[in-house]
Amino acid sequence: MELFEHTAAQLSDMLAKKECSSEELTASVFDRIHSIEPEIGAYITLCEDLALKQAKDVDARRISGEELAPLAGIPIGVKDNICTKDILTTCASKMLYNFVPPYDATVIQKLRAQGVVISGKLNMDEFAMGSSCETSYFKKTRNPYNTAYVPGGSSGGSAAAVAAGEAVLSLGSDTGGSIRLPSSYCGVIGLKPTYGSVSRFGLVAFASSLDQIGPIGRSVSDVAMLYQAIYGYDPHDATSVAAKHESTTFHAGNNIKGKIIGIPKEYFMSGISTEVHDLVMKAAKVFEENGAILKEVSLPSTDYALSAYYIISSAEASSNLARFDGVKYGYRAEKFDNLIDMYERTRSQGFGDEVKRRILLGTFVLSSGYYDAYYKRAKLLQKQILQEFNDIFASCDLLLTPTGTDTAFRIGEKMGDPLKMYQNDICTVTVNIAGLPAISVPCGMAASNGMPVGMQLIAPKFEEQRLFDAAGCYEANIGNLCQIPMDIKKEVIS
Amino acid sequence: MKIDVKRLAKLAHLQISAEQEKVYAAQMQDILEMVEKLPQLESKESLVDPNNPMTLRKDIPENSYKRDVILQNAPQTQAGCIVVPKVMD
Repeated sequence: MELFEHTAAQLSDMLAKKECSSEELTASVFDRIHSIEPEIGAYITLCEDLALKQAKDVDARRISGEELAPLAGIPIGVKDNICTKDILTTCASKMLYNFVPPYDATVIQKLRAQGVVISGKLNMDEFAMGSSCETSYFKKTRNPYNTAYVPGGSSGGSAAAVAAGEAVLSLGSDTGGSIRLPSSYCGVIGLKPTYGSVSRFGLVAFASSLDQIGPIGRSVSDVAMLYQAIYGYDPHDATSVAAKHESTTFHAGNNIKGKIIGIPKEYFMSGISTEVHDLVMKAAKVFEENGAILKEVSLPSTDYALSAYYIISSAEASSNLARFDGVKYGYRAEKFDNLIDMYERTRSQGFGDEVKRRILLGTFVLSSGYYDAYYKRAKLLQKQILQEFNDIFASCDLLLTPTGTDTAFRIGEKMGDPLKMYQNDICTVTVNIAGLPAISVPCGMAASNGMPVGMQLIAPKFEEQRLFDAAGCYEANIGNLCQIPMDIKKEVIS
Repeated sequence: MKIDVKRLAKLAHLQISAEQEKVYAAQMQDILEMVEKLPQLESKESLVDPNNPMTLRKDIPENSYKRDVILQNAPQTQAGCIVVPKVMD
């Protein structure tokens, strides 16, 4: 078994016992990257020299007897909308094709302080807007289970890299499902933490009231370890919540005896493929066999969640993306007549189609005369959705739903139809709207196309450990949930 | 409802070709139809979550980035300043 194939939890142990060095591990991950990256295209920027230097430094510290953090010396990939000092951060957009942040995001500061090795920056949908990783300005990332399929989005590079063994762990960001959906499509585990539990300082803003950074890994322990490394209050983020679980040690639990798992019926109705439905219900049986109590529940506002999501996220995006004007950083149009012309040409040439569509939609819902009819209504619905979740969590410990309505789809299949693309997020957006934590866990392969299927577990705010307990219990029953596909299926794309 | 894409583009500082305008108008129409399904809700309460009031950090002066570091990302600079087209005649 090559070093890159191990989980972070195994590697942490091996590094501590000096059974391998971080330099050897980092070299193994880069060997894997060089052999497979032409097929997958997960990275926008590779940091091989820097990573090997970081690895050697950690090894030297370990040899000197220094006590190191559990993730010290382990290579992690970072989504390209998280600022990394002196490393390109493009948001997969022409608009930021040359942007080199002068500072680190808080999560990166934390990881660097813990001796984590950064392997590079990962591909995504442009400004995190998309569900397939196809709106990137630079490249299309392919699904490691079959390269004719999308990896999901927007954190498609983050999920594909971990699934293919091109990173031990990765960071993604999730505004409407952008960590969970690609994790489901690529057969890995992805956590969207409680809103406010991980600092957003240095995350390029898309929809600030919904965005959240989170970990992706190949075991429940790995995801818990990376969450442990990045969570916590940060005065640089006004929405960061102070110390709700400051002294907790997150870990993959295994006991869910007596826990009540709600099955919201709205998530299992029309629109969900039979294969997905059956595999998620099969996983529910595993929980039941381990002593959990299943209970059918109802979240009546689910049907409206997608509409509320697109209003709120587009409104915030149109406001957040107003800063990209060609003045202070990033792309500037080559030719223009005056200042306004420079703004317009820069933005028209710098943003892709999907980003423009959302800016226009956001501008519309915030414009005079329409604010009350759209934005305010969506915000009121947001309150109602949160209330429905609160009511249900009074009698349930967790909720179980599918992550996506179906498996990954073929590259190009949904690009011409934005509405069809938006429907992919139907099971995930409510969690962002309510600010809750949720995890996507692989629960089998679809017989029809051999692609992975994910289930989603949802917990009340700041109850991430409940997710790790349930996911850990499932993992203990099933065994290894995320096997790196060594023989990657390549289909000719017609 | 008729969506005036041209006007929205102007507000958002985007230039849209006549061809794109048609495509966007049709797509936005579809999106708005979906969005209009929202129920009518009334509330006199504030939209801010009382359980999670945002706290701003204190405005304390501290060392910041050096000017040349910040300017490294600017498309055009001169004498330590960012160059933009003339704003006033």
